[in-house]
Amino acid sequence: MHEEALLRDLRRELLEVARRERVDRITRVRLRVGALCHVSPETLRSRWRELVADTPARDAALEIESSPDPRDSRAQDVVLADVVVEEPGSGTPPTSA
Amino acid sequence: MSERTISVNYLARVEGEGALRVRIHDRSVEEVELRIFEPPRFFEAFLRGRGYAEAPDITARICGICPVAYQMSACHAMERALGMTVEGPIRELRRLLYCGEWIESHALHIYLLHAPDFLGYPDAIRLAEHHPEAVKHGLELKKAGNALMRLLGGREIHPINVRVGGFYRCPSREELDGMRPSLEAALALAEETARFVAGFDFPDFELPYEFVSLRHPSEYPMNEGDLVSSRGLRIPQDRFEEAFEEVQVPHSHALQAVRKGGGSYLVGPLARYALNHDRLSPRAKAVAGELGLPPVVTNPYRSIVVRAIEIVYACEEALRIIDQYRPPGAPSVPAPPLTAPVSGAATTEAPRGILFHRYRLEPPGTIVDARIVAPTSQNQKRIEDDLRELVARSLDLDQEALTFACERAIRNHDPCISCATHFLNLELVRD
Repeated sequence: MHEEALLRDLRRELLEVARRERVDRITRVRLRVGALCHVSPETLRSRWRELVADTPARDAALEIESSPDPRDSRAQDVVLADVVVEEPGSGTPPTSA
Repeated sequence: MSERTISVNYLARVEGEGALRVRIHDRSVEEVELRIFEPPRFFEAFLRGRGYAEAPDITARICGICPVAYQMSACHAMERALGMTVEGPIRELRRLLYCGEWIESHALHIYLLHAPDFLGYPDAIRLAEHHPEAVKHGLELKKAGNALMRLLGGREIHPINVRVGGFYRCPSREELDGMRPSLEAALALAEETARFVAGFDFPDFELPYEFVSLRHPSEYPMNEGDLVSSRGLRIPQDRFEEAFEEVQVPHSHALQAVRKGGGSYLVGPLARYALNHDRLSPRAKAVAGELGLPPVVTNPYRSIVVRAIEIVYACEEALRIIDQYRPPGAPSVPAPPLTAPVSGAATTEAPRGILFHRYRLEPPGTIVDARIVAPTSQNQKRIEDDLRELVARSLDLDQEALTFACERAIRNHDPCISCATHFLNLELVRD
């Protein structure tokens, strides 16, 4: 029911991280997905490329840690845990989208 | 290539999203579209096949701010279908529960969403830095409303003690008496709130609304009364569909409601107040008079004052109900067995305006059809009309100023997307 809003919010936060850290390229994104949250890992994976297509995370590898435990205190949450960014001017130019 | 890992730990949030497309041609506003992306939620579809007794708990999940409204409309619609009448203390307790919801919902909107607009802060957190007392008052009021919801509903959000026919358990006299101190304090705070917000600077912006609300022979309306409008409509509340229809528009996932053969209309505090000013409680009426608030308010920015007056009313009404309360013999009226297909509909006054439910039931009590028309979908077209007028008067503003002006105009009506309109995406096309 709330997949779209969650995905858009994740996208917004990725853009914010890139802006705050002044990076052009995010190479890895790790999400933690609770057992009772509103979006399944399958939905996240299938929508991911489209979601990040025009962001610095467009080539990023997506890692999803999903917890099967409904009693976990974060069972209802989708958390953007961490991202790996390429230091500006340090590597290969970003591939075009 | 060097890389570094940034720990973010960001919790993704679920919020509605709004976008606004405005097309201006030759200094004339050609198009205003309020786009709501929230996907359909299919509540009406998944009520089908469920027992009628489940409807109050299922529909409560539609909203975390006004679950009581959904429970009340569902219960009254089912009771009409089943030919049940709920009177006396159970009827009064339902009103008391609704008072709790009006108080918490209005306090939330006034202090955390609406007041920052008038005082020049982007949100309530920034407002709290400079006006900590104001935000504290708001939270205290909200707490008083929540306490009523917890006592009568079992918990503040998505209460679990409401059933078709009444309640699962009714409070004792002593339990209700225990609410008095916080409600008396809330009443004083509500009056202070009304005086505080009435001092804000209001843009000069009067609009020709058609107001629609319930009207009861003797009460400020919550659960009962006819459907009336400021342009002469008066029909029984279960015949909502005779006068109003929902239409689908290509630019929004949310249905829009219109008057049949007419245009937009407004529901909510401004409408309720304009059509029921003479039904306000003594102190609510006195505070409105003291502040020079006329019986009909057509400036949407002043809805913040009307909301405050409705909190005064809800506190006063709650205290009246508590004073007169005698616990009922049984916490609910028993439902008769269902032997033939029946239909029932009801409209009640959610904090944001009228909420219509209609159900068709088949023996032994299965819902075969459900229809729910929420206040925000009814106001959506009217909000577009407000925005059209606002943009026409604000053609010289730059993009940032115009976006903020539009966000404010939307927040005037406390739509379910009000938190999201802080992220309003304005697409302005000038050609």
